[in-house]
Amino acid sequence: MESLYHIYKRRGYTRRDFLTSAIAISTALGLPSSLLPKVVKALEVKPKPVVIWLEFQDCAGCTESFIRSTSILPTDVLLDYLSLEYHETLMSPSGFYAEESKREAMEKYRGKYVLVVEGSVSPKDKGVYCTVAGKSNVDLLREAVEGAGLIVAVGSCASWGGIPHAYPNPTGALSVSEVLKGKQVVNIPGCPPIGDVMVSVIANYVITGKAPELDSMGRPKTFYGQTIHDRCYRRPFYNAGRFANSLDDEGAKKGYCLYKLGCKGPITRNACATIRWNGGLSFPIQSGHPCFGCSEPDFWDRGMLYTPLSVVSGRFGIREALVGVAVGTAVGVGVAYMNKKSRGGK
Amino acid sequence: MSDVAFYDFVRGPFLKFALFVFFVGIAYRFFRVIFLGMPPDYAKPKGSPPFMALKKIIIKPTMGWTFNEIFSRRAINFIGGFLFHLGFLGLTFFVPAHALLWKEITGIPFPTLPNIVSDVLAYAALGSLIALTIHRALNPVLKLLTGKDEYFANLLIALIIFTGLLATRWAGGGSYIWLVSLHLFLANLLIIYIPFSRLSHFVYYFLSVGFMGWNAGKRGVSF
Repeated sequence: MESLYHIYKRRGYTRRDFLTSAIAISTALGLPSSLLPKVVKALEVKPKPVVIWLEFQDCAGCTESFIRSTSILPTDVLLDYLSLEYHETLMSPSGFYAEESKREAMEKYRGKYVLVVEGSVSPKDKGVYCTVAGKSNVDLLREAVEGAGLIVAVGSCASWGGIPHAYPNPTGALSVSEVLKGKQVVNIPGCPPIGDVMVSVIANYVITGKAPELDSMGRPKTFYGQTIHDRCYRRPFYNAGRFANSLDDEGAKKGYCLYKLGCKGPITRNACATIRWNGGLSFPIQSGHPCFGCSEPDFWDRGMLYTPLSVVSGRFGIREALVGVAVGTAVGVGVAYMNKKSRGGK
Repeated sequence: MSDVAFYDFVRGPFLKFALFVFFVGIAYRFFRVIFLGMPPDYAKPKGSPPFMALKKIIIKPTMGWTFNEIFSRRAINFIGGFLFHLGFLGLTFFVPAHALLWKEITGIPFPTLPNIVSDVLAYAALGSLIALTIHRALNPVLKLLTGKDEYFANLLIALIIFTGLLATRWAGGGSYIWLVSLHLFLANLLIIYIPFSRLSHFVYYFLSVGFMGWNAGKRGVSF
């Protein structure tokens, strides 16, 4: 099978383009420059990765983001480089033939293929809420996991349960790692996650043969080791106490911090502020919108999209304070009266 | 439990509970004392009680600042106490994140401090708090007046300022959420603890000092 270098050559790119991509991959993964020769060697000789991509309760947004990963590999190279053996949205066959090709790939590349899961898993009511080819999603997942070399959960739905898991969660949606307890799952959360991050994690598997270093919640430390707030270009305004008070006031035009407008950057771990989107063009905060915190668990249930982070969630205002004072007054007066009586006062 | 789940708990239900307990506690203690009442006093006041009460509230914090005998003997109390209160109150109300919380509760917009000013206040408050605690432990008179309550309160407040500093200035990346959650958790404990400890002086100080002034006015003496 071809390696990345062969594909570059076949598509008319120069060796310099190939080396640029190799450098971009090792930079994205945070590998030291001394390892660059090894990275180049691996991408020259190692066969392209086989990917089986399952979609459960999803919207295909992660796929859309994935095929627009342009900082590291040009899209035409990416789709050629990944041997996508099964992907319901991208492949041309359907029905019986599609399922057959998946079965064949799972047998042929047993123990070697990368299993990417998009969307949450729903075991409730025997998995009836998400079935493909007459099989429930849980059965499909267990079947595909057996021979996988690496399991990657892309998007917030696969990583935490995401929007299908949001209250009242009618389908009993769960994350991939909750269903596959005890197995190593690489979580790449985000709604959607950054395409370059997904590509880098798969490339890392080709280069090193294992998953990247993960944090306690199964996310690659390289991309999810810092908060958006830590890396935000508007951070100096936060430090200076300069905030935009609405989405289009003078402060917003000057690029002031969006904390007051409900930015969740301080509690959101993702690489948006460094890698950015669409080939490094921009990210939500750069376009003047507060961060939603879409890569953190239960972001949808937290709500408060336009409420500052430090405000009590669930409201506590003058009315609630007065209720507290009234209760305290009643108890205080009662106790004082009883004390007075017991001491023979009037 | 993930850090974000803990964060959501301390800034949601737990903070609401703490604030509610705080308001209940403050009102309860106030009315429990007020409704006990005072014995009737039929003597005609020699001075002006309301004037003296007001004077005492306004003048008392500045009384030690003249370089007289009091100040020379109790400089640590005055300087440390002033710095600590300035820092603690400044941080509580005017750090941007706190100011937005107060706006939510009171409906009044608070001005916000730049980070550098909050940092100076935080270090001043933390340093003076440590100095005052050591002073408390060693001074023969203060030793007699000090119980577990003071040490616990001082430790709790020191930890809150310290975790706040850690979170905003020194924490890298992912640990920020744990630290800010710990900061919130300890602050909630403090909010619950205030009404039932000597820390309630932040509300009752004005009443007790006013009462002393009132009595001085009634007897026609100066303080």
